[in-house]
Amino acid sequence: MSFTLTDADSLLGARGFWRETGAWVVGAAFGRDGRGCFFGLGDGTVRIADPADKGAEWRCVQAHQGACLSLAADCAAGALSGGDDGRAVLVAADGGTAELATFGAMRWVEHVAAHPAGVRALACGKTVTLFDGRGERLKALAHPSTVGGIAFDAKGKRIAASHYNGASLWFVAAKEDRPRLLEWKGSHHAITFDPAGEHVVTAMQEPSLHGWRLTDGQHMRMSGYPAKTKSLSFSARGRWLATSGAESVVLWPFFGGGPMGKEPHEIAGGDAVLCTAVACHPQQEVVAAGFADGLVLVSDIASGRVVPIAPPGHGPVSALAWNPAGSHLAFGTETGFAAVVDLSKRG
Amino acid sequence: MSDTREPVPVTVLTGYLGAGKTTLLNRILTERHGRKYAVIINEFGELGVDNDLVVNADEEVFEMNNGCVCCTVRGDLVRILGGLMKRREKFDGIIVETTGLADPAPVAQTFFVDEDVRRATRLDSIVTVVDAKHLSRRLADSPEAEEQIAFADLIVLNKMDLVTPEEADAVERRIRAINPTVEIRRATRSDVPIEAVLGREAFNLERILEREPEFLETEEHGHHDVEVVSMSFEVDRPIDQDRFNTWISGLLQLRGQDILRTKGILYFPGEERRFAFQAVHMIADGDFIPPAKPGTPRKSRIVFIGRNLNRPQLRRGFEECVSTLTTPEDRQPA
Repeated sequence: MSFTLTDADSLLGARGFWRETGAWVVGAAFGRDGRGCFFGLGDGTVRIADPADKGAEWRCVQAHQGACLSLAADCAAGALSGGDDGRAVLVAADGGTAELATFGAMRWVEHVAAHPAGVRALACGKTVTLFDGRGERLKALAHPSTVGGIAFDAKGKRIAASHYNGASLWFVAAKEDRPRLLEWKGSHHAITFDPAGEHVVTAMQEPSLHGWRLTDGQHMRMSGYPAKTKSLSFSARGRWLATSGAESVVLWPFFGGGPMGKEPHEIAGGDAVLCTAVACHPQQEVVAAGFADGLVLVSDIASGRVVPIAPPGHGPVSALAWNPAGSHLAFGTETGFAAVVDLSKRG
Repeated sequence: MSDTREPVPVTVLTGYLGAGKTTLLNRILTERHGRKYAVIINEFGELGVDNDLVVNADEEVFEMNNGCVCCTVRGDLVRILGGLMKRREKFDGIIVETTGLADPAPVAQTFFVDEDVRRATRLDSIVTVVDAKHLSRRLADSPEAEEQIAFADLIVLNKMDLVTPEEADAVERRIRAINPTVEIRRATRSDVPIEAVLGREAFNLERILEREPEFLETEEHGHHDVEVVSMSFEVDRPIDQDRFNTWISGLLQLRGQDILRTKGILYFPGEERRFAFQAVHMIADGDFIPPAKPGTPRKSRIVFIGRNLNRPQLRRGFEECVSTLTTPEDRQPA
């Protein structure tokens, strides 16, 4: 890629709006009802933009005493935020907040997840606590070591939690909680299911990925990264797994017998800058990616055609999210730049 | 990388239960120095710690999948330091307290192995608080006590009010036999100046072997094989870089589990700059540092701290690294 791009002539300049927040953007999410774009920040606030009104004031909610550590779209509307003050907080598009749970001082709520089926999960230390959509505590799931990441499957029936030496797979509605243990030596962090619920993939302390095919327990090793992968995202139809951690967007094929024995597909390489965040489009085989220099782009996976969204210069991209309709992209950076870009077709 | 922010200094505080670690920690935190610290304490902390930003760590150690059994890191530290970096403007430094039973190696190795930790922080020093009265008993019954001394850059020899000057000297000798380059500060109720504890830059290559090891050619204690000892070697003639690399990487690969710490300053033929080298078990780090003050003898030195060290073998190995090339400036004045 060799193009020079400025804010003025980028899609960000033409169709986006942004704020300098002054704090590390930890996570970004759109409300599932289409209202509100939420940014969780290192200063403990959640900033709320209105994706439909670029001129509107951004709301600022002090959700945590310390830092926000994790942010996700809540079940139906609003966002769920976990912080290093041991609290999990629900934030609505109008700025209203409600505490979902508190685990006490010196405890960190490091990972949060929610599913439209009406289930929420909070990881604090070695325990994942599940809540229903009304905020009732359902159960606590214990793990052998600190949980490195959590993910629901596409139906919200199972939750996977990564930890040392593998991951644990739980049924949300099980009467007796006994996990299926997916074992692989080492420390596992980011975790995801494919849309069909047939594979679980984790990112490891060593710069590589590990996957399990759930039907037969087949192991999948995906390696060759120069840096740790922190961001994993399956494409809408589950054909590709997009990953950060290389100087390009690395996509592993999950079809035609892959990823075993297949070379990954690489997009937008050549600039010797690490990809730091990926997010696949919710409907199309399209991936958005952010880089360590601040570059944000969107690419059609099959053709590899790249559309630049934001030029380098706003800090390493640390958060990236699509809205459910796939018409808007939000991103944030380590240095506090937060932006929303409207990518809808204009007729 | 567009990340130009200064790495945050991290001080590791070790020492046996009851040695006075928490007293020192609270002194650091309450003294008026105008700096703010994030404190990571272990889950079995002795006393309350009075600070705005305290995080509880569970000391989860795991092995890296790189074929090296001694390459262990503290997973909880990787996580906690990563979390703290999201609000790094809130503090000037980080202090990590370990349990009395902790081996400091995984803590130190975390700072060399994990890329994110390396990018955002730097290990400033390992400070070990030692109970002057009970050290010999601790050394006899726990390998961790030896390791905490072996890895230390500063030892706070605490509870001086409970020992005689002769006893104190004996304890110091015992410490020096394990770690000849460590600085020892005598204290009562951990009353050492804060500036002696923080901002030491002990893992900065430019400061490696700044404190000359005492070349104690005494008989090794050798009571039992597991005892930690140190061995220092020195040569007058310049070292061949390739030979040294081959030797040291092979040695650490083979014996890295027993060799806890290695530090060296080397002179190569015709090279004015010095080469500084350090390793924690098998994990090595080295680079050129500026030349020594004019008139300093060009002597290459290496110090090993570890168990089951074979002195003749190490000496031979180091001496065989001597270069067969010499240039006029490498010749020592007669």
